[in-house]
Amino acid sequence: MAFYLTVSLAIAVNSIAVLGTFMLTGMNGLFSLGQAAFMGLGAYISAICVVKYGFPLPLAILTSIGITIVLAILVGFATLKIRQDFFALATFGFGQAVIGVLTESINVTGGAMGFSNIPEYTTPLFAFISLAVAIAFVWGFRRSHFGRDSLAIRSNELAAKVAGINVFKHKMIVFLISAVFSAYAGALLAFHTQYVEPAMYGWMASVTWIIIVFFGGRDSLTGTVIGALVLLALPEALRFTAAWRILLYCVTILLIINIRPRGLFGTWELSINPLLRLFKPKKQQEAK
Amino acid sequence: MVKPVAIEIKNITKMFGGLCAVNDFSGCLFENHIIGIIGPNGAGKTTILNLVSGIYPPTSGEVLYQGKNISGLEPDKINHLGIARTFQNIRLFQDLTVLETVMTAYSWRASYNVLETLLSLPRVARFEKESREKSMRWIEKVGLAEQANVIAQSLPYGMQRRVEIARALASEPRVLLLDEPGAGLNQSEICDLVDLVQMIYEELSLSIMLIDHRMDVIMRLCQWIYVQDFGKSIAQGTPEQIQKDPIVIKAYLGEEVSCA
Amino acid sequence: MQLSTFLQQAINGLSLGAVYALIAVGFAMIYNVLKFSNFAHGGVLGISAYVGFIAATQFQMPLIPVILIGMVAGAITAVVVEFVAFRWIRLQKGQLVYFFVTSVTMLMLLEQILVILFGASFESYPYTLIQVKVIKFSDLTISVTYLITLFVTIIAFGALIYVLKKTKIGIAIRAASNDLTATSLMGIDVNFVIIAAFVVSGMLGGLSGVLYGINASLSPQIGQIVVKGFIASVLGGLGSLTGVAISAVALGLIEVFLISTIGSGLSPVVIFLIMVVFLLVRPQGFAGVSFADKA
Repeated sequence: MAFYLTVSLAIAVNSIAVLGTFMLTGMNGLFSLGQAAFMGLGAYISAICVVKYGFPLPLAILTSIGITIVLAILVGFATLKIRQDFFALATFGFGQAVIGVLTESINVTGGAMGFSNIPEYTTPLFAFISLAVAIAFVWGFRRSHFGRDSLAIRSNELAAKVAGINVFKHKMIVFLISAVFSAYAGALLAFHTQYVEPAMYGWMASVTWIIIVFFGGRDSLTGTVIGALVLLALPEALRFTAAWRILLYCVTILLIINIRPRGLFGTWELSINPLLRLFKPKKQQEAK
Repeated sequence: MVKPVAIEIKNITKMFGGLCAVNDFSGCLFENHIIGIIGPNGAGKTTILNLVSGIYPPTSGEVLYQGKNISGLEPDKINHLGIARTFQNIRLFQDLTVLETVMTAYSWRASYNVLETLLSLPRVARFEKESREKSMRWIEKVGLAEQANVIAQSLPYGMQRRVEIARALASEPRVLLLDEPGAGLNQSEICDLVDLVQMIYEELSLSIMLIDHRMDVIMRLCQWIYVQDFGKSIAQGTPEQIQKDPIVIKAYLGEEVSCA
Repeated sequence: MQLSTFLQQAINGLSLGAVYALIAVGFAMIYNVLKFSNFAHGGVLGISAYVGFIAATQFQMPLIPVILIGMVAGAITAVVVEFVAFRWIRLQKGQLVYFFVTSVTMLMLLEQILVILFGASFESYPYTLIQVKVIKFSDLTISVTYLITLFVTIIAFGALIYVLKKTKIGIAIRAASNDLTATSLMGIDVNFVIIAAFVVSGMLGGLSGVLYGINASLSPQIGQIVVKGFIASVLGGLGSLTGVAISAVALGLIEVFLISTIGSGLSPVVIFLIMVVFLLVRPQGFAGVSFADKA
């Protein structure tokens, strides 16, 4: 039982990071290869705060998120105005730079050998609630004007500007939210696995999240969540090693993009409307 | 009595590298007037529109809106000031319905920030409801009420044009810039378009700048016409004057088809 | 720094730059024709490097056949990548973003295949591949691998220029880089030209993989140096292969001097900063042309 709970916890927390990528890359078309670096920052900063400076957990997490936001703002200003393909390159470079710094600062971070002895603070309940909140947030985001603006910008940035949308500000907001999701997930995972090392947060992790988003379908939140649960759980169930796991992801997404590019779920969304209609008071229904 | 000026263009020039797209153009759009800019393809008409709507800044010269210099401002800021436009090659948003497309013009006026979307405050629902209702009114005005929930890009070309116009109107502008609105439309669609533009002009008291290379659209709607050729202004005047101007006739003989 | 050290570093930098130039030109070629960033080029590089390695160790082949086999492996891998990752999307007129996903996926896939086949450790091309190890020139001790790299690269670029300017297929590739639609309207089979572009790009990639493997060590992560090629393309200005090549050489020199001063851990940070400044200030690169969308 404990094993399944542990695995579910990891899946739930990783899904939070995937949701960040869903917003940034799926909805807004911003191809960042450096999002995992924010996860690394969240993990390391909160772990160091607790282990080396004795911060209480909430303060440590808030600190790591705060620093992540500041860094994300800087990176955003540097990269969000760049053309799409160069944005991928620039964020890749950022990711490499973060890993470089984490590896070099041996005194603080333990360098390439990693940082260990992190206490286990993350409970399954905490993880699942966090995931639920994250899903609720993304769902609300999509239904709001932010959701429409995202699709508009992704589709035709110039027309979006002319319609009055402040495209840079919108992109920055989305970039920050995605960074925060990744950082928070990183912190949660650090206090679960109790060990972190720089190599965990490279571009391949970022690409994995992108693969998961496109597997479910970048236009379906339900698809991304279910896709995340499936793709994160499958390798565990099949006892894959890391390399075969990545192979599975790669082959899967190549099949999906070639055969059904809109993703497994396309634009289908789980709707609670039919359920709500059952509970609507009689007179409202009659007034319709 | 001095007529109030909506947009004044003063000696704007635009160079793209070595190519001079617009050469020292000056023009004036009075409030509640319709002016037109005509000329053959490549004459620089769309460039003028792009300069006014902020797509890129002029190499020299100024664009004044209600007396204030707007040259070089970002397109979204210009939109907030009250200038809206359509595009020659229609620019709609993939995967958005007609209603959602028109609603994007209200996004910048949103009364809630991103954190508040999580809390699903009544403020959010209220704003969404208002945008939806206001947008529907514009959609009805252009005659697309039945297509409101259809994906905009799946509509026939003539309807897509009208979606663009509805989106521009949803900015609740004082000035409307129409870039070759007749492009790609057949004869009856053009007559419908002319009627539509006439109607919104009268009902909403807009100031309109219209660009086209088709004489029929321009002649029927505009009170004053500027004629461009290879980036330079070669004539201006009322439709009657332009039709008879030998320079214009020599440079460019447009097609004329009459609407019954 | 002593003059001899400086010169040695310079030659090291030039040779690294030469490899980067091969990568960058291979990368830029696909970018120019298909208008997207082919990260999978790194995978082509990696596979070729290992194929060459096998040829050198298992089959004890001498230098020139090893290089040629690497180039052939590169061409084959590149064409496989085109068929698996890009062809269907292109034929379905899929959106640009799908190319991004598959290209990055292929990079990861090919790297993981190498990890599974060869493990995560480092390998080296056999020492016996090159007879003479160093040349002593007064104070200087120059490693022969650097000289060979420079020499081979110059020959390769010479051949490339000849192909692009004088052969029918080369001219077709250049036409396709300019305007793919117009090229097909001229009656040229675009799909064939694209495959040809991948073959040429693959050969360049294969060559760069083998040369890099000979100069440095070999690991499954070798494909990641495609990013250096990408950076060089950005600095040089996509669209101008000459600009790209020159920037790549400059990048090699800069990197060697950076590593000798601040170490290999922090040089990615500096390179990232340089790149960001460039992208903000002059996104079209040194030699490139500004892109302006027609509104």
